Amino acid sequence: MRDKADERLDHLFAAVRAERIDTAALEEYFETRLLARIREQRSESIPWYALAWRMVPAFAVVAATIAITTFTFAPTHSNDLLAALNADQDEMVSSSYLIGE
Amino acid sequence: MDCSASDISDDSLISAIRTGNDAAFAQLVGKYKRRVFGLAARFARDNDDLDDICQNVFIKVYEHLPSFRNDAPFEHWLTRVAVRTCHDALRSRRHEKNNVRLEDRAFEIQDNAEKARDEARQARETLKFALSLLSPNERLVITLMELEGLTVKETAALTDWSEANVKVRAHRARQALKRILEEHNAR
Repeated sequence: MRDKADERLDHLFAAVRAERIDTAALEEYFETRLLARIREQRSESIPWYALAWRMVPAFAVVAATIAITTFTFAPTHSNDLLAALNADQDEMVSSSYLIGE
Repeated sequence: MDCSASDISDDSLISAIRTGNDAAFAQLVGKYKRRVFGLAARFARDNDDLDDICQNVFIKVYEHLPSFRNDAPFEHWLTRVAVRTCHDALRSRRHEKNNVRLEDRAFEIQDNAEKARDEARQARETLKFALSLLSPNERLVITLMELEGLTVKETAALTDWSEANVKVRAHRARQALKRILEEHNAR
């Protein structure tokens, strides 16, 4: 149900709607100011954190390459004690040999 | 023959902007700046704020123009960008204390000739004060519907809220405005 407060509110809305806000002075040279700001933004150097963020895919590729290389060229386990010693796996293989694995 | 911006279609201007033509962008801005200024003036606190909001609107347009699809009119897309930017501006200042009382904004009426104009100005100041006490969502919805004259459906399309949500927020905003004005009258 509409009351006096509603009527007052509608009166205020109508008065504000009827009044044309004059923005003509601000609109002058707006394009010039806007384009100057866009050019300024373009010329600003990229901050280091933005650069680091953009480098994330490159870092991911490097990490993946290291992981693949590590698994691909990892030294294989050998049961031959002499061969293992020659291949610098002495500690691992000798411990396996001593505990009977 | 020289063509004004209104003679050139939006599609032609947008195609030119996508190729890096800044003059075409200036033409597009010139074509729609009045619409954006008119809308943003409902939310801005002063002229500096208004200029800032309008610049932000067109910077967003410039940055996101490559992702604009031609399946909707450009003006509709621009209005959505403008509404979102105004909403962001309202939200960014929601923690600012509103220490100005309505009584401090009272105008003196000089003579009868200016009376009608002063009444309208006073109504605007009263409403502006009451709107400044609303939440950003409530202010946005009541401004779009009551001052810009948009329907529930149009408001929902511009804000990405459901129609039911728009109705609820508009109702709450209206109740809050009535309460504020009643409190002011009681003083």
